[in-house]
Amino acid sequence: MSQRVREVGGDRGFASSLIIAGSAILALVAVAVVFAPLLSAWGPEEIDPLAPLAAPGGAHLLGTDLNGMDVWSRVLHAARLDVGIAIAAVAVAVVAGSLVGLVAGYRGGWPDDVLMRVLDVFQAFPTFILALAVAALLGGGTANLIAVIALVNAPAYARLVRAEVRSVRELPFVEASRTSGASFWGVLWRHVLPNSLTPVRVIAPLNCGWAMLTLAGLSFLGLGVPVPTAEWGAMISLGAGDVVAGRWWTSVPPGLFLLICVLGFSLLGEGLQERADSTRR
Amino acid sequence: MRVLRFLLRRLLQLVPVLLGVVVVTFLLVRVLPGDPIRTILGPNATEADAAAARARFGLDQPLWRQFLDYVGGLFTGDFGTSIQSGTSVGAEMAVRIGPTMELVVIALTVALLLATVLGIWSARNVGRFGDHTVRVAALIGNSVPEFWLGLVLVLVGYSVLGWFPAPSGRVDPDTDLSLITGADLLDAALTANGPAFVSALEHLALPVATLVIAIVAPLLRSVRASALEVLASEAYTAAAAHGLKDRLLLRGYLVRAALVRLPALAALVFGFSIGSTVLVEYVFSWQGFGQWALRGLLYRDYPVVQASVLVIALFYVVVFLIADVVHAILDPRVRI
Repeated sequence: MSQRVREVGGDRGFASSLIIAGSAILALVAVAVVFAPLLSAWGPEEIDPLAPLAAPGGAHLLGTDLNGMDVWSRVLHAARLDVGIAIAAVAVAVVAGSLVGLVAGYRGGWPDDVLMRVLDVFQAFPTFILALAVAALLGGGTANLIAVIALVNAPAYARLVRAEVRSVRELPFVEASRTSGASFWGVLWRHVLPNSLTPVRVIAPLNCGWAMLTLAGLSFLGLGVPVPTAEWGAMISLGAGDVVAGRWWTSVPPGLFLLICVLGFSLLGEGLQERADSTRR
Repeated sequence: MRVLRFLLRRLLQLVPVLLGVVVVTFLLVRVLPGDPIRTILGPNATEADAAAARARFGLDQPLWRQFLDYVGGLFTGDFGTSIQSGTSVGAEMAVRIGPTMELVVIALTVALLLATVLGIWSARNVGRFGDHTVRVAALIGNSVPEFWLGLVLVLVGYSVLGWFPAPSGRVDPDTDLSLITGADLLDAALTANGPAFVSALEHLALPVATLVIAIVAPLLRSVRASALEVLASEAYTAAAAHGLKDRLLLRGYLVRAALVRLPALAALVFGFSIGSTVLVEYVFSWQGFGQWALRGLLYRDYPVVQASVLVIALFYVVVFLIADVVHAILDPRVRI
């Protein structure tokens, strides 16, 4: 019994293995991102006119898709786009959301009220639905996708940081800095911000994984990057018709890579969370 | 009485949110690029044809006029006319909501049961191999793209094994199922149509399994975390030390307390599963609300977009409201 009680706040050993496993996966993904051209004999958009829908093996490690493009090469090259867009979108969401939460939480009063009511409207939708609606209306393309995914994620960061700021601003050292004449932005930047970002650090990696799933989901529905750009969701979409005919290689590999990549972020995020819990104890 | 007052206050708070949704959707769909009229006219249509069509749907009116017409219609339950099909949006929506709700409700129920059983089991075996396995499996479930998972299940369940029907439609048309609610399982039960019931179940299996795997992880985590708190509490330790039977400990102490946080989370997951359903419907050609709304978005069918967005937001906030009330009933500590 006593052992159980001790472990309630988090399991350090398990946390470490999660972090290590997640980091290892992400390291492999990084290798794929950097060395994609070296690891594949074909270009991601290079067409082999003799072999559309070729089965794995022979000249094509994972076969070819409907257009005769090499699946292995496309899967590797897609990592660049998927990981890149996800990280960029989360970065924008963290910066924009934190800024809004910071100002709203620290200032309080009517700006806080107005911002929170705006967030209410945003959060009246399931995030994927919001992303879907905005992406469908805005149109695809890399920049739009980053904007859409950042937009639907930013409100959560705003709320997270706002809640944190509201407790931090009452702490004695912040009060002291304020009364000793430091400027509004000075206090905010030097004292409030660094002490309000702890939850953001845990959420962000998990969010990267989720952003990738959103991106792939949008692409799967045809709202992503233009064809024939190598992107996991779009590849799965193209291969969807093959599944009924029993051809697995056009859609299973891109999904598997996506899953592994998202899992890397999830393991890392979960491990960080677990570790944060166990230190808090 | 207190619950009623709480309910009333919360309902009032919904008004500005929904009003915001109505205004934002109305403006966004018109401001962003894309023209619904061009999508219904052929390539040879003249400017005059376009103007006539625009007038037919009231799109030649000034913006404020269109808005007043739209909001006025809402108060009488009129969602307008679909530009694509020319039929009433309300009627179209009515036959689309049933199939989707069927999918979401069954999946959510299965996921809740699974999460409760696995979560409590995992908490009671905390730190052991079984617990770690459940947690890693949940992480994998949380990381899997649901549309891809659906395809993999089709590949295995239909193409390779042949155990399940092809991913096209919700029920075998030969079973002559008559439409009542649109939820085929329910319709089959209501009309005592045995073959249709079986067929609907077969068609439901794979999409439901897909959704369950996609949504179970956060629920499982929550039950596990709550159960761990209970296990560490003094009340539970005391009860265990007094030698209460295992079954009594489980039922009287663990289950109820572990479920306290679940309603709020279930509401969140409900929203999440609406998002996933759009993708799952697409994979299984479910012809539900998600596919209908997606089509509306792609063709800029203003009335369809406005109606579907509003209905999703309404469902979402109402489900959250219900969750809060259920939470208040389950947890005596909550003061409302």
